[in-house]
Amino acid sequence: MPATGSPELLLRLEQVEQFYDRKIRILGPIDLEILDGEFLSLVGPSGCGKSTLLRLVCGVLKPTRGKVLVDGRPLVGVNRSAAMVFQSFALFPRLSVVENVAVGLEARSVGLRERVKKAEKYIDLVGLSGYERAVPKELSRGMKQLVGLARALAVEPELLCMDEPFSALDVLTARNMRDLVLDLWASREVSTKTILLVTHSIEEAAAMSDRVVVLKANPGRVADSLDLRGLARPRRAGSPEVGEVVDRMYTLLA
Amino acid sequence: MAIVVGLVIVVAVGSAQLRRFNAPELDPSPLLLPIYLLRSLARLSVAYAFAVLLALATGHLAARSRFARRLILPTLDVLQSVPILGFFPAAVSVFIGLFGGSALGVEAAAIFLIFTSMFWNLAFGVYESLITLPDDVKLAAQQFGLRGPLRWTRLILPAVVPSLAYNSILSWANGWYFLLASEIIAAGPARYTLPGLGSYLGEAISAGRTDQLLRGLVALVGTVIAMHLLVWSPVETWAERYHMDESGDRPRTPRIARLLARSRIVRGLGRAVVFPAAQQLLGLAGRLLALPGRLGPVFAVSIGLGVVGLAARALKKVVQLFGDRPLSSETLAIPLSLLLSLLRVSAGVALAVALALPLAYLTFRRARVRQAALSVLEVLGAIPATAFFPLILLAMVRFDFGMNVASILLVLTGTFFYVMFNVLSGAASIPKEMNEAAAVLGLRGARYVSRVFVPAILPSLVTGCVTAWGGGWNAIIFSEYVVAGEKTYAVRGIGATLDRATWVSGDSQVMVASLAAMVLLVVLLNRLFWDPLYQHVAARYKMDV
Repeated sequence: MPATGSPELLLRLEQVEQFYDRKIRILGPIDLEILDGEFLSLVGPSGCGKSTLLRLVCGVLKPTRGKVLVDGRPLVGVNRSAAMVFQSFALFPRLSVVENVAVGLEARSVGLRERVKKAEKYIDLVGLSGYERAVPKELSRGMKQLVGLARALAVEPELLCMDEPFSALDVLTARNMRDLVLDLWASREVSTKTILLVTHSIEEAAAMSDRVVVLKANPGRVADSLDLRGLARPRRAGSPEVGEVVDRMYTLLA
Repeated sequence: MAIVVGLVIVVAVGSAQLRRFNAPELDPSPLLLPIYLLRSLARLSVAYAFAVLLALATGHLAARSRFARRLILPTLDVLQSVPILGFFPAAVSVFIGLFGGSALGVEAAAIFLIFTSMFWNLAFGVYESLITLPDDVKLAAQQFGLRGPLRWTRLILPAVVPSLAYNSILSWANGWYFLLASEIIAAGPARYTLPGLGSYLGEAISAGRTDQLLRGLVALVGTVIAMHLLVWSPVETWAERYHMDESGDRPRTPRIARLLARSRIVRGLGRAVVFPAAQQLLGLAGRLLALPGRLGPVFAVSIGLGVVGLAARALKKVVQLFGDRPLSSETLAIPLSLLLSLLRVSAGVALAVALALPLAYLTFRRARVRQAALSVLEVLGAIPATAFFPLILLAMVRFDFGMNVASILLVLTGTFFYVMFNVLSGAASIPKEMNEAAAVLGLRGARYVSRVFVPAILPSLVTGCVTAWGGGWNAIIFSEYVVAGEKTYAVRGIGATLDRATWVSGDSQVMVASLAAMVLLVVLLNRLFWDPLYQHVAARYKMDV
């Protein structure tokens, strides 16, 4: 959804650098801004630090140097206004679907009845109605990721972070899920309006995002940033406009 | 909740008298047997509760911090090789001394001793379950803000449930096995005899009262079987829910249990009592265990200081022990005794293999025979080996084959079941196609055994031998020196040396020396022989289906 008026700054990474073992530079220095209401993708080859950036944004990792600012204030601890969807689903293996989806609410001290109600709402939104009592080992990969998506949306975060969420799925399932994510993003039922997607697929970034930040590796740094808001939605993967953007990104990464 | 409270009350009431403990003899009246049984059950339950909580705390700590791991794992490894008698001095001086020789102190000492037979495998099991938690799941827990008690109840405890269930069964089996030793605590010539099933049996053996012995055995076997059917099977079924499909070592649900699970009474009991109790206990444990996390460094430092202090004191005492007087003749005889015991334990393991392999070969292909055999073995294996001791001793007297043979047979009771279960499980997992290929190619008899059967079960066989080896050393303590029917039967060996030092002479120098020698030998052999052997066999013979 294109942002109208002057968008708010949701999150900002300022001169962030990440070192491994104090000597090897993985990332940076990087400046990154995430605007309220935008669908931002981070694209780059393996080793460019995009997953590291995502973890910095979510607050499960602290930058060696630089600042992470949320709503203008430095981030302390885990980012409570963000939620993450994982490449390998990361469902709690011994909890049922509804328990998994409700777990973020449980951590936010939401009462039992309310969190079950909310969990069931999001389970229904992703299309898994009826599977509340199932356990992860009974689900297909696509269904597991749907649970992961519902779990992240259930805490109604301001920012949804997705770490290569479709790369572990087969082509058809991945395509359906991309469409689902875009539908939910546009839907009135879901309050989350800002999405940060990390992907190695340039085509995917071009088809989904308002803005793409292209990263280069060794060490990870921003190569360029492309504004794709001009491309009308819904976008078709084969269309010439999308193809042109894809070509431009490939050139940047050459 | 009610059960836990009830058991605590039983123990508390029984030990409420803080007067000087003064009961060297046990009243053998059969009417008191149910009370003895209940008291033993209470002690076992309390020890088990402590063992579980501490195992969770320790295993979690070792899984979480690399530094802690390097301290904790080797310590656990060494301590688990210490035979229960090695803990007597600690039990006596700390617990009995601390409570001023009162009844409460003796109970605490007994519970501590039972604890030492239950704790180690639980701790290792917890550690292994947590180490294999996928990184991304841990990250998800962190990202969604699961901290403290919630992290325990939603992430950690579900992950350890299968291992806890399996190891609890093992721990209780160990507890019953050592009940005898725990309820008659010796400090030199002094005896502290607690009223309980273990001491009831112990006194029956040493006084040679067969009717008392029989009554006690019936009570013991009956209770063990009842617990197996009424407690452990529901627990196993409940734990199945928490199993990840990929795990290889699943505890099999015994056929009897499966049949009983269909019975409404058992299911009702399970639902009304066992399941809610288990869930409640898990929640409580979660809250308790989150506390050290909050206290964090303070907790770690105080524990560290305490351990260092105790170690320093112990070291000082040991130095005194060997410095103040010359080495006694018994101490000098230890190497030879150790060697003889080593031979006996090895014989016990070898005998177990010799018996188990043919039995496994004969039964593994006929599924119904195998299931029947498994059920029988499950029940027999649940009976503590101490129940077989009197039979073997009686046979020894009848057929006059001397203590050397009898001691090996006694060791066998501690080794056979480990080998048998592992070999049976290994034989049952031979891929069907392999057997079909062998049949088509005409491999039969000896050639089948040597080309297909033995290589296929080799990893399980080695695992069985390793655990049997541990069980054998546990058994050797009670196998080389037995007082039965007012007569003493003994052979030269480290078990006998240790027993004599504990129960007759109270000679600390001999005790410490023999303990150290035994633990050193077991740990060295584990590191230098069994571990490399398992690695080698697993690398060459493990089948990736």
